[in-house]
Amino acid sequence: MDNSSQEPLLRSENSVTYDCPYPIYSMAFSSSAASLPRRRPIAVGSFIEELNNRVDILSFDEETLSVKPIPGLSFDHPYPPTKLMFHPKPAASLIKATDLLASSGDYLRLWEVRDSSIEPVITLNNSKTSEFCAPLTSFDWNDVEPRRIGTSSIDTTCTIWDIEKGVVETQLIAHDKEVYDIAWGEAGVFASVSADGSVRIFDLRDKEHSTIIYESPQPDTPLLRLAWNKQDLRYMATILMDSNKVVVLDIRSPTMPVAELERHQASVNAIAWAPQSARHICSGGDDGQALIWELPTVAGPNGIDPMSMYSAGSEINQLQWSAAQPDWIAIAFSNKLQLLRV
Amino acid sequence: MEIQLQDQNGAAENLKRQLALAVKSIQWSYAIFWSISSRQPGVLEWGEGYYNGDIKTRKTIQAGELSVDQLGLQRSEQLRELYESLSAAESNPQAKRPSAALSPEDLTDTEWYFLVCMSFVFNIGQGLPGRSLAKNQAIWLCNAHQADSKVFTRSLLAKSADIQTVFCFPYLGGIVELGVTELVSEDRNLIQHIKTNFLDNPNAVISKIPNYVSNNPRNDKDFMCANPVKDILEADFSPLIECENVQVSSPKSSSNGFESNQPGEESFMIEAINGEASQVQSWQFMDDEISNCIHNSMNSSDCISQTYANPKRMVPPLYDEKVNNNFLHDLHECNQKKLDSFDFKSDDVHYQNVLSTLLKSSHQLILGPHCRKNNMESSFVNWKKERSVVFQKPRCATSQRVLKKVLFEVTKMHGDLIPESSKENGKKESIWRPEADEIDRNHVMAERKRREKLHERFTLLGSLVPSSGKVDKVSILDDTIEYLKELERRVEELESQKEVGELEGRTRRRPQQEGTERISDSYGSNRTANNNNRKSLINKRKASDVEEMEHETECCMMIGGESSSEDVTVSVIDKNVLIEINCPWKESVLLEIMEGLTDLNLESQAVQSSNTDGILSLTIKCKFKGSRIASASMIRQALQRIVRKS
Repeated sequence: MDNSSQEPLLRSENSVTYDCPYPIYSMAFSSSAASLPRRRPIAVGSFIEELNNRVDILSFDEETLSVKPIPGLSFDHPYPPTKLMFHPKPAASLIKATDLLASSGDYLRLWEVRDSSIEPVITLNNSKTSEFCAPLTSFDWNDVEPRRIGTSSIDTTCTIWDIEKGVVETQLIAHDKEVYDIAWGEAGVFASVSADGSVRIFDLRDKEHSTIIYESPQPDTPLLRLAWNKQDLRYMATILMDSNKVVVLDIRSPTMPVAELERHQASVNAIAWAPQSARHICSGGDDGQALIWELPTVAGPNGIDPMSMYSAGSEINQLQWSAAQPDWIAIAFSNKLQLLRV
Repeated sequence: MEIQLQDQNGAAENLKRQLALAVKSIQWSYAIFWSISSRQPGVLEWGEGYYNGDIKTRKTIQAGELSVDQLGLQRSEQLRELYESLSAAESNPQAKRPSAALSPEDLTDTEWYFLVCMSFVFNIGQGLPGRSLAKNQAIWLCNAHQADSKVFTRSLLAKSADIQTVFCFPYLGGIVELGVTELVSEDRNLIQHIKTNFLDNPNAVISKIPNYVSNNPRNDKDFMCANPVKDILEADFSPLIECENVQVSSPKSSSNGFESNQPGEESFMIEAINGEASQVQSWQFMDDEISNCIHNSMNSSDCISQTYANPKRMVPPLYDEKVNNNFLHDLHECNQKKLDSFDFKSDDVHYQNVLSTLLKSSHQLILGPHCRKNNMESSFVNWKKERSVVFQKPRCATSQRVLKKVLFEVTKMHGDLIPESSKENGKKESIWRPEADEIDRNHVMAERKRREKLHERFTLLGSLVPSSGKVDKVSILDDTIEYLKELERRVEELESQKEVGELEGRTRRRPQQEGTERISDSYGSNRTANNNNRKSLINKRKASDVEEMEHETECCMMIGGESSSEDVTVSVIDKNVLIEINCPWKESVLLEIMEGLTDLNLESQAVQSSNTDGILSLTIKCKFKGSRIASASMIRQALQRIVRKS
């Protein structure tokens, strides 16, 4: 990269890199602010196309800028985790003083992260008739109603779990094809994206209907990821297969995106809204760049330029913006986890 | 004039007191003085205000020492400070919000209204103050909270604060606005009372007596009567203003700068250029014109001192055409935001910013490498187009490689779970079904296949073990367990017998046995040899063994005789099995029998079949592949089942 000379400086002061023994895909920041202010847990899940995957909990120390594995906090997760997420409101969690981690893959699983060990809490299988469960592409934990987790599956359905009771609250055919991602807006409202190329919003109070708020321009171009702006619920963003665009939608004006962010030079892999601002979003792509965008009120004729950028030098596969430490964005590329100061 | 200019701060202070007196005398909620912006001629912006409404939380700083009036002034100042701190945080997100005596949580709805008013500006002719100024007459608005937003841009905001009555009147080139949470019908006398007694009364303005305010009698008549200028001013305030009158009637040449300047101002406004206007005024006008051509996202708080430094600001009518329709729209939208919390779409960045800060108190994102602490540099650098040219091609040709693997391939690690959704098109509406089985057609299909397979295997297992009569899965497993135990017992038994036998015929039998096994692995081609071996093997066996075999064969044949419609005879000798079947001919029965044999681990070596009068006669010679797993009776049962089923 052109700024390689700056890298040592950058490394030491505003970013931390951690090398994992395996390629990483899934990754999650803990939102727990409680007991360990200096030891912020980050979960990383390996991505190996065999049944020998694992999840490790790392600790990130903001002051010494170090990332270390926490001894004992690691578990086997044979199927590669498609998503990891910590309890959004740990204080209100089922088990006090510990953090809950959820993982998706062959099943939705909950894990209790203790100080020096991790115990499986429950494996949630939505099939009443067998141990078999259609694989899950993603899930989202409802931060308003933390007993709810919604999962998306290749079987075209979304399942809403009541994790306190460990039962399916509801399951619905969300799309015509595989559902690739799901995101909560409010306590009872979620949206999903699918291989059928649509973004749909569901309201649990009226399960008969869904609202299509966007369809990809070329029919059946799959939509792969979805992020709902938690600071301003009018906005959500999605990414398309083989596209360098981040499509920003306004739920009040269906079908027409309010913005298309297309400054990535290769396909986009991950998006995350700023946890503390309604107008900022970060995206990471195959061009190895993480771009931070500020949504303008009016788009100029030449499209929207990002505010700032970071070059990782390799395809960025995952990107998370820490809610507990909004100054930090984590990206994952190949077998590296990198924390970047915003 | 010079004296007045030097005394501008004092004048501003006086204005505040005047407003306070006015609003308190009629016990209304607030008074605002809208003045012409010094940065943007032709636009009215917040000049001064006094809040006299309900208060939620009073945070007092040396409160004990203050009189009621001072408290009132202090509250207004605190509100102003809060607004400034919020807008400072908006314009400069790096700076931490300066500590204000109040925080947004401490405010009542009415105070919010008052506070948000500070962010409004009005073009001449627009909004209540703008129209009042353009027409140069008082406007009284009842039911402000229900007014059309074109009439009263803050109507939604007023609704939230329950402000029902508002009136505006021109004063000192700006507009004085008063509002109250009650419905008060139009009362010209009230306006005049305010104007004459508090705003125009030189005594009130120059009063330095601290308790003047508290001594101010509420009795309007006292003041009205006491004021000799009343009548003249009343004329001045008639809807159609007569400039000449004002000038003529201007009786004051006293120390009250406001008063003396007012006529000049109004005449300027109407005649565009007033030769009588002081040089100072002309100069200010030019200055305004020069310095304010661009609407900049201004920080209105900066303007206050300037505004007040120029209390005699002219109204340049030339700027009327700068009326911006969006402006009204924006304000309207902004108002809505307060109520709906999500509903504004504004082209005006300034307003959006101010309001998002004020109303949502959202933290601004601290971004960008600029204005950072030295050791807290961002990892991100400012985006530049040129920079993006430096682009490393993805290492592999496929884009979104990992993401696609996660979504498309890994999810299929379960095996035969290929979604059949691609076959389906059409149905756009989602269908809600509570039952898991019904929900997922693909899932159901896969599941059904799996269950079918399971069922098939259980049937096979059931055919392999002696049945206790029941055919449910648990019974089949129970039978299997029993049968396995039985087999193990028999294996032990046979082995112990074999050991005895070996003691007798070790030297010869061992190699032969091994030969048999080897040959049996190579199946049919060596059948003759195999048979020979078998014979020799049998010959070497102990009589008891042979007897047992024969007994078993007889048994089977006997059992076979019981069945009338079809008879199945099975004889097993070592690994060789001879099967004779007579049954009604049905399509594919032969195939099923052969499959059944394969399932029983039997390799057929010779098959003879004939079909006479619909009766199939079948003779099969076959042989166990590997170890012998089924008894003669089991084979027979299995075959009978096949024959009957088909």
